[in-house]
Amino acid sequence: MSFKDIDEIIKERKDNLLLPMLQAVQARFGYISEANAHYLSKKTGIPFSQIYGVITFYEMLYTEPKGKYIIRICNSPSCYLNGSLNLIRFLALLLKIKSGETTKDKKFSLEVVSCIGCCDKAPAMIINNKIHGNLDEKKIKKIISGLK
Amino acid sequence: MKITINSKEIECQSDKTILEVAKENNIEIPTLCYQEGFEARAVCRICMVEIDNKLLPSCSTKVKDGMIINTESKKVLEARKINTELLMSKHKKAYFGESKEHELFKIAKDVGIRQVRFNNNKKVYIVDKGIAIITDNNKCILCGRCVQACQMQNVSAIDFAYRSYHTKVTPAYENKLDDSVCVNCGQCLLACPVNAIYEKDDTKDVLKVLKSKKHVIVQTAPSVRASLGEEFDLPAGTLVTGKMVSSLRKLGFKKVFDTQFGADLTIMEEAAELIERLKENKNLPMITSCCPGWIKYIEHFYPELLNHVSTCKSPHDMFGAIAKSYYKDKYKINKKDLVVVSIMPCTAKKFEIQRKEMKKEVDYVLTTRELARLIKIKKIKFNNLADGDFDSALGLSSGAGTIFGASGGVMEAALRTAYETVTGKKLEMLEFNQIRGMSDFKEGSIVINGKTINFAVVNGLGNAREVLEQIKNKKCKYDFIEVMACPGGCIAGGGQPIPTNKEIVQKRMQALYLNDKNNTIRRSHENPAIINLYKEFLGRPLSKKSHKLLHTSYIKRGT
Amino acid sequence: MKILQNSNFRALSKIAEMKPEEIIEIIKKSGLSGRGGANFPTGLKLEFTRNSQGEKYVIANADEGEPGTFKDKLILEKNPNNIIEGMIIAGHAIGSNKGYLYLRGEYSYLKNKLQQVINNAKKISDKLKIYFDIEIISGAGAYVCGDETAIIESIEGKRGNPRIKPPFPANKGLFNNPTLINNVETLANIPLIILDKNWNNNLRLFSLSGNVTKPGVYELELGTSLKELIELGKPENKIKAVYFGCADGCIPYEDIKLDYEAIKEKGAMLGSCAIIAVDEKQDIVDVTTNIAKFFEYESCGKCTPCREGTMRILELLEKISLKKAAKKDLELLEELCRVISATSLCGLGQSSTVHLTTALRYFKKEFRDKLK
Repeated sequence: MSFKDIDEIIKERKDNLLLPMLQAVQARFGYISEANAHYLSKKTGIPFSQIYGVITFYEMLYTEPKGKYIIRICNSPSCYLNGSLNLIRFLALLLKIKSGETTKDKKFSLEVVSCIGCCDKAPAMIINNKIHGNLDEKKIKKIISGLK
Repeated sequence: MKITINSKEIECQSDKTILEVAKENNIEIPTLCYQEGFEARAVCRICMVEIDNKLLPSCSTKVKDGMIINTESKKVLEARKINTELLMSKHKKAYFGESKEHELFKIAKDVGIRQVRFNNNKKVYIVDKGIAIITDNNKCILCGRCVQACQMQNVSAIDFAYRSYHTKVTPAYENKLDDSVCVNCGQCLLACPVNAIYEKDDTKDVLKVLKSKKHVIVQTAPSVRASLGEEFDLPAGTLVTGKMVSSLRKLGFKKVFDTQFGADLTIMEEAAELIERLKENKNLPMITSCCPGWIKYIEHFYPELLNHVSTCKSPHDMFGAIAKSYYKDKYKINKKDLVVVSIMPCTAKKFEIQRKEMKKEVDYVLTTRELARLIKIKKIKFNNLADGDFDSALGLSSGAGTIFGASGGVMEAALRTAYETVTGKKLEMLEFNQIRGMSDFKEGSIVINGKTINFAVVNGLGNAREVLEQIKNKKCKYDFIEVMACPGGCIAGGGQPIPTNKEIVQKRMQALYLNDKNNTIRRSHENPAIINLYKEFLGRPLSKKSHKLLHTSYIKRGT
Repeated sequence: MKILQNSNFRALSKIAEMKPEEIIEIIKKSGLSGRGGANFPTGLKLEFTRNSQGEKYVIANADEGEPGTFKDKLILEKNPNNIIEGMIIAGHAIGSNKGYLYLRGEYSYLKNKLQQVINNAKKISDKLKIYFDIEIISGAGAYVCGDETAIIESIEGKRGNPRIKPPFPANKGLFNNPTLINNVETLANIPLIILDKNWNNNLRLFSLSGNVTKPGVYELELGTSLKELIELGKPENKIKAVYFGCADGCIPYEDIKLDYEAIKEKGAMLGSCAIIAVDEKQDIVDVTTNIAKFFEYESCGKCTPCREGTMRILELLEKISLKKAAKKDLELLEELCRVISATSLCGLGQSSTVHLTTALRYFKKEFRDKLK
């Protein structure tokens, strides 16, 4: 198994800051596998257990592969007050998965998240860095089928 | 400066925490996540005290002139109660161990908790049953003392993972402890206030084999005799050799031998090995090999330096090898029937005996704590026992063998023999005070036949890295280095009675040094049983037979 | 909006001739205080950091995570120049050459644009012989990383657990060095203060959301009435209550002045000026449970009261919602609130119960009605 990509990532960071390195690994591979994390630990001297502790602390870092589109739908008060709960249920039924799961065809992952700062477009969701606000069932259906 | 605690005016120095000042003045403030010698993390929130209507953690808050502190106010007690209740609800009720060791239960009792108003722990974790150490996350209260201890050892096999209520202490990627860089030193075990970490229990198997018709013999490490008494409420540092032997006889061991004999044997081989390396100027510095925690550490973290480690097995392994060859043949015991049990202060030894290289020469390792449990299970009244003696065949030992249990002891024992065998002269002073004691790193030098030999003692695994990096960079000035994983040496091992703190460790240490002083034979090479063994069986140190039975090899594990 | 006035690095040119002490005096005199919710006098913070020993750092806190707050996003989108300029000026004032912009992961789509602004700023500041490097560090989804010391831990490559204070970041922060941490809105105001002698310290950016048809950021004077703000939002139904984010409590809707003292008197806090409007169709117990879920999910897990307590609060509220709770459960809730707010290690835990204590204070009937 080649770890050339990891070597490059480490080389870029002369300051050995872990969070950006992990984000770079995830950007390259979609997630941070045990093998990659272990290699990173070996080369940087950062304890393996610490690396795992950091990955699992942050909601946007993954130890397992996710779907092509990661749907982050907000359930904090502003969105909640605007009916996010029903939309979440709708979305889960539409994709046939529960929050935290990935569709069988590996296309979509569904995450219910805390406030994403789109309260003026509540209810809102982010899919791979793109914001979709003022949602309703019709809009969600359209967005998902547009991504299929 | 002057501060007030519970309306009492107290003089104290600045730059001290409230907790430290309270301790100095015999004012009790309960703590849970606080560990002496470690940085205060203030996470359990049990030690909160009231100052100016606010609650602050006493373990991390420094005193200020004129501070008025209340450690028992209504606010403090309500907070203490709720936080303790919250932790109790996290902790699986049934526990393994004595209540003396269980700090959370003691706090709950002192705070007056009769019932916990929260549902018991919701999560169910699988218990990680390792070869030497068992970790049960169902009991974990996330105080972090184990993580701190492991970081102090520079191993960091475990750390916190996940977030909020799902936070968990675990090796990376939820691997089993046995599949991580854990070295089995058990410092985490000693640190845990709620017995979420404990040794693998071998008492059942040993009891079973004792009931059988097999020829079960036992050997005891030096440290055990200086600590076992604590399990029976004797003061720390009481030497209980005689009672220990008698209790083992009562348990049904056919022969009670002494690992110190094995220690003397180790010195014979290791001193010879050192002299040979010095002559050839190869693989220097030589580093001791009797600590299995240390061995696993270097196999993981510095496998390229393994050539520096002595090839000598550890004392109890050497003993096992001799028991299953020399002793078995001499006393005509069937190999199938011979069972060797070691009583050790160490959890890593449980891992050590399973290594392929050790060829099952020792069958079981029981920690000091397990032996105490056995004695109690069998209702043997330890404190009333008359003193017994070791069986002589493999039970005679020197003072040099005794001091193995203390940091610096192996070095001292080896130097006694190395010096006297090479120069043919007797050492004027047998005590090497510069390498005794609790310092992290100790050093000294000795002139042997005109050549200066520099030696060093690393006390605690966390202090090994510096000298290892020196060796790696070819900048090391030492010829011989002793490394012990546990701070203080084996007497502070993972299998020792809890609590094991600096004060108690020093008392156990003193007992061993006193034992050495009072011994008529103080040099391994003057032990008649050892001399006899070489005459009858081994020939000479580093002979072909010695190499086969008493020396071993290592594995490049990497991380 | 005044905050969206692009200063175009004119302030940077102006301060290039000034002594650092002068700059700090200007900031002190302006009365600028932290806009992240803590409201600490920025000039003092600059002074403390400047007077500490060691290599200094500036961190721009763009980890806006308080539910109902989206004002920082507006500035990051529409006037990032001011933020970067403010960082450089602050850095110059305290004697620092390195800054980090900690951008919450959910705002990653702004990263490229911000990098361009930073590159542009570097060219300008270099010409003025002010050498200041800014790096963008992306957050990775943790509300707690909005806390000062948690940001530091995060940048250092650790879990985002807040630290014990003291020591304070001004003395010992990033890599144990003196560190200035400011919210991006605070930083964006610095160039405006330098350029405008009549800069108005009473303007605040109110993020209005919830049961209103015109949610958005409204730049208004402190002391504006809540009624005026809500009416700008054009709610469809009658408003019952107003939440100041999740961490600063709620009050029943009334014609109250939106300033720190008036809100504090009511048991809540103005904080970062997030106003979430709740109309009469909503169930306060449901809203409370939703907020409790937020804190339980976002607790970092380090200290007992927050980690265990937020979960137990959620558990009890769910019991109440299911109509399975008794009076003693309400009492236990109140006891938990007292202990969690008094003994939590950081601001998250300490403020995780205000929403509940205020909801119980003003809407107790809604809770009592659900008891067995």
